[in-house]
Amino acid sequence: MTDPKKTHPSDTDIRPHTFDGIQEFNHRLPNWWLFTLYGAVVFWLCYWSYYQWFHEGPDDRHRIQAELVQVEAAKLAAMASSHLDNASLWAMSRNPVIVASGRKTFEANCTPCHLASLRGRSENKLAIGPDLTVRIWIHGGHPIDLYHTVTQGVPAKGMPTWGPILGPRRITEAVAYVLSHHQEGEPIIDAATLPPGSK
Amino acid sequence: MPPAHHPNRDTVTTIREDGSRRFLYPADVRGRFSLARRISALLLIAVYALLPWIPVGGYPAVFLDVAARRFHLFGLTLAAQDIWLLFFLITGLGFLLFIVTALFGRLWCGWACPQTVFLDHVYRRIERWVEGDGVQRRTLADAPWGPGKIARAAVKHAAYIVVSLGIAHLFLAYYVSIPALWAMMTGAPGRHWAAFVFIALATGVVYFNFAWFREQLCIIICPYGRLQSVLTDDHTLIIGYDAARGEPRGPAGAHAAGDCIACDRCVRVCPTGIDIRQGLQMECIGCAACVDACDEVMAHTGRPPGLVRYDSLAGLARKPKRIWRPRLAIYSVLLLFGATAATWGVLSIHPVLLTAIRLTGAPYYLDQGIVRNQYLVRLVNKQNSPATVRLDVSGLRPGASARGVEDAIEVPPMGEELRPLIIEQSRSTYQGPFAFRVHAADPAEGVDVGLSLEFLGPATAGSYP
Repeated sequence: MTDPKKTHPSDTDIRPHTFDGIQEFNHRLPNWWLFTLYGAVVFWLCYWSYYQWFHEGPDDRHRIQAELVQVEAAKLAAMASSHLDNASLWAMSRNPVIVASGRKTFEANCTPCHLASLRGRSENKLAIGPDLTVRIWIHGGHPIDLYHTVTQGVPAKGMPTWGPILGPRRITEAVAYVLSHHQEGEPIIDAATLPPGSK
Repeated sequence: MPPAHHPNRDTVTTIREDGSRRFLYPADVRGRFSLARRISALLLIAVYALLPWIPVGGYPAVFLDVAARRFHLFGLTLAAQDIWLLFFLITGLGFLLFIVTALFGRLWCGWACPQTVFLDHVYRRIERWVEGDGVQRRTLADAPWGPGKIARAAVKHAAYIVVSLGIAHLFLAYYVSIPALWAMMTGAPGRHWAAFVFIALATGVVYFNFAWFREQLCIIICPYGRLQSVLTDDHTLIIGYDAARGEPRGPAGAHAAGDCIACDRCVRVCPTGIDIRQGLQMECIGCAACVDACDEVMAHTGRPPGLVRYDSLAGLARKPKRIWRPRLAIYSVLLLFGATAATWGVLSIHPVLLTAIRLTGAPYYLDQGIVRNQYLVRLVNKQNSPATVRLDVSGLRPGASARGVEDAIEVPPMGEELRPLIIEQSRSTYQGPFAFRVHAADPAEGVDVGLSLEFLGPATAGSYP
């Protein structure tokens, strides 16, 4: 190849080190490049002072705490917006729209054990789940108990913990569907209050 | 008119001794490569501009729907679960680029890179229309500010900003689709701050890059340019100067002079400000402007073209040329591995995803003389049409039965459904844990996916030897 210019002014400006026979010029970096470097230095100074020196900005712990508070607030808001108590669950069980979507959730998730008729073992001795239409309730005698039973499950007997799977809205609807097979004011007996062996 | 500064191999032309920028004003160039490059660039720009508009299978040809985590590529829809394919796509493109580079040098840079395509065929065209050719542009730049210069600068930069806005909007269209983009363009910025700020920043970056930064990106920032020295060798096609034919330089007709008449046309047309006659340099983006420039001069002086030409270093040195080299074999094998894996991956993507987990609670239940296992089956429909899926269980031991597989399951488009699956076996037939399979099938959509599950129960005399 052709010779590079031998008498360039920079030829005198060669860095002292040599690696594998390679030497380096000591040319100036482009000004725009230096500008980004100095800009980064200024940014670092501001950033570091803001967070580490003056502690003006929130640190990670505070940020996580703030987010946890928000998550908690959202949870509470979701609970408060549905006003879950016995009266509201009864009211929902008379609302055809809620009962219809509750029925969908029930049929997708609950029928393998409780059967589509809700009658479980009363209909078929080999069914897994108990009858949900009778007036003797196994886990508490109030609609809100039913909601908690679905949400938390009865792991010992095989009732799954549906809370994390279905979420509060679909569980509420499914409970409303089950309650639609009952009447508010009907005498519901909590099985735990019955004398043993009287079933 | 000679160039204001003669390039050398020890310094970067566009960086002055004091670190300030030496701006380049490349001269006009005509010729076969310039024409071919213009045509291919316009085609590439058309592809970039049209892809979001062309519907394939109900979605734009390329629609990277980040918000819904669905990636539509020419009718193939990938879900977030298929993201691992990206590895093979990126490495595949990488090895393809290796092969192209080993064979043809910086073909990508000069012909297909968006930086070159937009800079040479859009922004520099605007500059040419508004400010004239290279000499006029340099004269204008050196002239003091006056009404004429201000007017030209205003027109040029306004046009730059309009084009940059277009490029940025099209870029966003690949991620949100044209209708959503149009809705955002016609709506108030306050309703979609994120998109508005993105467009503003992207337009700013594109404008800065093409109006001011230009070749600095190729010379100083682009890693591909820096990788050249390990990807190319003496048999790679590059743009080079035939020193044996051209030297010694001298005016046409001079005694004992070579073919180079030292007109410096090749230097004045170079968009990165190098002298190709000083050999292969890192700054060269292979745009072939110097080839066309020199061929034109050779034609004027009645000499054959090709003093500056596409050739390998071996070819320029009159040594035997070789196309097939070990590095090509290595790159090809690596590409083949990746392409095979990617093809297998794409073919094995099922439109329906089936997973199953054990329901919370005990691993098994003993109830009324029956061993019971409870699972939760999850079906995800990755298609944009509903799927009617039937679950089926096979491989159960005698005496075992399944509940929850009786009815067909409607899975909405892009939706998911959960179903409990319960397997029971009477203790009288139970002989220990066993594995069985769950299948999800939708014959209408050609879906048939399966997975293996374990049925657990109490230990029996023979089950744990």
